[in-house]
Amino acid sequence: MSVLSAPEALPPHLAEVADRLRQVTVEIYSTRGCAAGILWAPDLIVTNAHVARGPRVLVRLADERRVEADLVTADRRVDLAVLRMPRCEVAPAALADSDAVRVGALVVALGHPLGLRRTLTAGVVHAIAPALPGGRRWIQADVRLAPGNSGGPLADTAGQVIGINTMIAGGLALAIPINDVRRFVASTLATVT
Amino acid sequence: MTAVMELSNALAGAVARASGSVFAVHGRRRLPSTGVQWRAGLVVTANHTVEPDREVTLTAPDGRTLSARVAGRDPGLDIAVLRAEGDTVPAADVADDGDLRVGHLVLALGVGPRASAGIISALDVRGGRQPAGEVLAVDLTLYPGFSGGPLIDVRGRVVGITTSGVSRHLQCAIRAGAVGRLVEQVVRGGRIPRAYLGVGTQAVELPEPLRDRLSLAQRTAVIVLNIKSDGPAAAAGVVIGDLIVSIDGHAITEPEDLVAVLRPDRVGQVVAMSILRGGEPRELRVTVGERPQRA
Repeated sequence: MSVLSAPEALPPHLAEVADRLRQVTVEIYSTRGCAAGILWAPDLIVTNAHVARGPRVLVRLADERRVEADLVTADRRVDLAVLRMPRCEVAPAALADSDAVRVGALVVALGHPLGLRRTLTAGVVHAIAPALPGGRRWIQADVRLAPGNSGGPLADTAGQVIGINTMIAGGLALAIPINDVRRFVASTLATVT
Repeated sequence: MTAVMELSNALAGAVARASGSVFAVHGRRRLPSTGVQWRAGLVVTANHTVEPDREVTLTAPDGRTLSARVAGRDPGLDIAVLRAEGDTVPAADVADDGDLRVGHLVLALGVGPRASAGIISALDVRGGRQPAGEVLAVDLTLYPGFSGGPLIDVRGRVVGITTSGVSRHLQCAIRAGAVGRLVEQVVRGGRIPRAYLGVGTQAVELPEPLRDRLSLAQRTAVIVLNIKSDGPAAAAGVVIGDLIVSIDGHAITEPEDLVAVLRPDRVGQVVAMSILRGGEPRELRVTVGERPQRA
């Protein structure tokens, strides 16, 4: 069985996935502490609206550079925000198709839980369903998160982002599917520019 | 594709394969639990999630609702076998559980599908209660409503039935082999026999000098408080006031231990019961009876 023998033949590559995610996960500082954001484009960061409080926030990139980012838009209802910062020379996050995500798939979360910077946690997709009947669809993951993970990536084993970690409910990570984020960012940029 | 991507795909494939045999079981007031189609018409779930004297309905993976009734219960292993009406879904692919090892990657499934992943952390949870080798400990989260659902391996084969009902501290699963034996009893006899001694008991502390004199490790035993005159224990010579210390070498420290030791397959067998009467040890041979059916 290839599944059982492969990991012994080839070392698993979660470490590489983690390195790739660390490059595209930023720290966003506010009065409430440190949370995460995703490098969406060389000059754009996407995070949760509850992370980006105020018109201007301090951001630390993976290479430890500190920059200031301006709020382009924040929507508290969907809990998403877009920030603009000076162009950086880092390749932005690779995005997956979140409609193709399957229950049971291995996933990793990168963030700054309880201020522990750039921490990786791993688990599986628990469900792709509303947390409450009639609610919005979340990617629910059996992955340990803590405050400080908000706004950070939930990614597949290729290192592609499938969602933005937003809430913890009943021990589960709730992430906004990245396809929903794509639509939000596209409509935001269309109206702003 | 990296090894870890292949593994991820295999896990998602295992969930998709196994979830075709998974039912929502509506057998209690609050949250539904989970059940697994073990073979044609028979669905296995966790006994503690099916209240007594209650209509049970099942929701199939395709959304159909089926009615079901309890065909057998084993409270010792927390397994109930339900007989479902109408045509059901494909039976689960049950693994040969001899292949299981500590450290193997496993997934617990709920209805939806919902999944949770972890490893086998022990193959043999005795905890003083369960018979050797029938209960697995798993290092994963059993989310609300998962009880009665399948524990699957990376190929999507069922290796056990998860339950939060057998241990207060551990997440457990009843091994597929043990579940299969119970299902077999339902198939052959139409029910799971419940072992019966015909005694009512209560735990009592054993005095230190007595434990020293008889070199007993256990601190407690159970005292017989009442006895059915036509029951198996009475027939073997047990009288009120006897202390039951062990059965076939398994220590009896509280009444629940009797349920754990007297498994359904012991019905009709002769067991060696060690008792204390007036502080003196005796050995009685008891033929385990079957609990009379409720009217």
